[in-house]
Amino acid sequence: MDFEFPEDIVRAREKAAEFARKEISSKKALMYDRQEKFPDELKKKAFEYGIVDYTNPWSMLVTIEELCRADPGMGIAATVSLFGAEVIMLFGNDSQKASYLGAVQNGSKMMGLAVTEPGGGSDVAGIKTFARKEGSKYIINGSKMFITNGAIADFFVMLVRTSNPEDGKRHHGLSTLIVPGNLPGFSRTKITGKLGVRATNTAELVLNNVEVPADNLIGEEGKGFYYIMTFFNISRAYVAAQAIGIAQGALDRVLEYLSELQSKGASSSITEEIQMAASDIATRIEASRLLTYKAASYLFQFKPNPTITSMSKAYAAETAVFATEKALEITGYSGINGDLERFFRDAKIMEIWEGTSEIEKLIIWRNLIREARGGN
Amino acid sequence: MSIEEQDILRSAVIEFAEKNIANSAVSIERAGITDDLAAALAAQGFLGAALPAEVGGAGIDRQGYAVILKELAAYSPSVSALVLITGSVAGKLLKKDGLLGKIATGEEAFAVSLWPATDGSGDAGELKISGNRITGTRRYVIGRPGGCMAAVTDDGKLVLVKSGFTLSDEDHHLSFRGLSYSVATVESGDYEVISSNGKETMESILSGMDLEIAAIALGIARGALAKTVDYTKVRKTFEKPLKDYSTVANNISRLMSELRVAEVALQASGDLNETEILMLKTHSTDLAKRATKYSLQYHGGYGYIEDFGVEKFYRDAVGLTILLENQAADGMRLSKEVFGEKSGYL
Repeated sequence: MDFEFPEDIVRAREKAAEFARKEISSKKALMYDRQEKFPDELKKKAFEYGIVDYTNPWSMLVTIEELCRADPGMGIAATVSLFGAEVIMLFGNDSQKASYLGAVQNGSKMMGLAVTEPGGGSDVAGIKTFARKEGSKYIINGSKMFITNGAIADFFVMLVRTSNPEDGKRHHGLSTLIVPGNLPGFSRTKITGKLGVRATNTAELVLNNVEVPADNLIGEEGKGFYYIMTFFNISRAYVAAQAIGIAQGALDRVLEYLSELQSKGASSSITEEIQMAASDIATRIEASRLLTYKAASYLFQFKPNPTITSMSKAYAAETAVFATEKALEITGYSGINGDLERFFRDAKIMEIWEGTSEIEKLIIWRNLIREARGGN
Repeated sequence: MSIEEQDILRSAVIEFAEKNIANSAVSIERAGITDDLAAALAAQGFLGAALPAEVGGAGIDRQGYAVILKELAAYSPSVSALVLITGSVAGKLLKKDGLLGKIATGEEAFAVSLWPATDGSGDAGELKISGNRITGTRRYVIGRPGGCMAAVTDDGKLVLVKSGFTLSDEDHHLSFRGLSYSVATVESGDYEVISSNGKETMESILSGMDLEIAAIALGIARGALAKTVDYTKVRKTFEKPLKDYSTVANNISRLMSELRVAEVALQASGDLNETEILMLKTHSTDLAKRATKYSLQYHGGYGYIEDFGVEKFYRDAVGLTILLENQAADGMRLSKEVFGEKSGYL
């Protein structure tokens, strides 16, 4: 077993770190955070620099880590413009791939995934947005909430209900449609006042008799729930990478602060309690990495392991929250007036989006007990 | 103040907060505490609650003061912090004269930088006295702009800067946004020396606020948990209310239990000694952090946006322990009490 990445992934990490050093600064990050502004220019440059390439998932994983290590809000914004693309890659037809994927892969267009609704976050099967089929089109009514890229995406992969399940199983009767963002009846409202990741764009979507061609159906009608769950298995690994980046960024800043204290001859103020807190942060980051790389290894070889994926996402998210809180405690005024207060605010969303920590733990449990009972 | 009197006062504070804060809590975070709100707090006797009657304060005792701080914090920690710096900082530092009277009535704004008592390692800027003028910058200033400011100079004097300074919102964006932490730029200000040993005076102010910080922390925990109980009753997932799930119910119930025990101790704080009050503070600030974390988590995405009013508790619970107390010093104080000698310094 070799725990080292191959040379090309090491280079991808270095390239992402180099890009972050050039393009992400505390001053810029603070500005985007305060103004709740999406960093268009950064996103454009990231594509030009060649570091956003989801066809090379390992490179993408370490790139996300490095950019979020520099700043979570800007790092996520720079790498999230293809959010949901895997649904089209895996289940879309050739025409859909040709029409939609090329433009998002070269950065000229943005997309989003529209699943969550005002009445239900974790309960994906409980969605109420309905798409009624009439002839060669679907007519969609409903609303979506907390949609990343919601106000700026050119199109969405949207989970809708296309039929009421006759067997009582709510996850039946769901489908995925490609829905352009500029259609009549489709309104989008940017959500402001988020605790963190304020450089990312989040919106509420309202669909009032929005018509899309039946050709925009991805895969088969009624299979949407499975497609989205498959997607979450992939995206959760990337969210774990975001969380690792945040935690590592917090540790970097703690070590910088403590090194400076040592240089000033104030080593005695670095008590054993502080030393152990820093060690705990580092240990949890390393454990998060091992879990996430294991999850990614299964995933990128097309044999996903949802148990490991959920473990990695939940653990890395908790690590990000733990690391940033500890970092603030250690650095005091210095941290609260620097990047760390933003990292602290950004970290909490890791335990909420792409499946709350509670949902991840329930997935782990269900898989564990199923396995214990011989797969039944 | 007796328990019964505390209950009556509590009802009055809650009635005030429902009328004056509940519906404007988000705007307080965005735009700060308005002059009107400060005036209303003063008119009700809350702003100057801890100040003596001779300067227009309410002259209330420490238990009553704690009730006000806690109940206000359950609606807006920023408003509670304003009352704290008025009563526990201005009230302790300033002479019992007309200026303090104006602060008690909200006519005069007051701000303070607790550096270096809270954390001496931060870059606090440079503030120097030259003859009868004072110039420079001082960071970590909390309070309302437009009045006077207490701060420690580079040579260790605690001064009251009466004019010639501005507060700018250049510092962090984490906690107490209703007051905001600012950088004070002093351009040839008028000042008076309060104490020649500024650091010790500030440390004494800080260690004298143990009960008050406990009260604010418990208010934060109460505010967050009350919202969570309400929310988890109505919010459904997988067709059942969140509160029906054992993890949610048990976690919230345990936190509520810890909160209630601490609230009982706070009510009886007149019978507690200084060490027990410090222990109560340590427990309360830790509880506030945990309670707000669970609160935000159980609100899900809605907890992450300001409209639902729980994210501010999450921010302020952490900020409270950094900006209005010195945890390292508190740890040393507590260890010394527990072990009977200097401990925990390695």
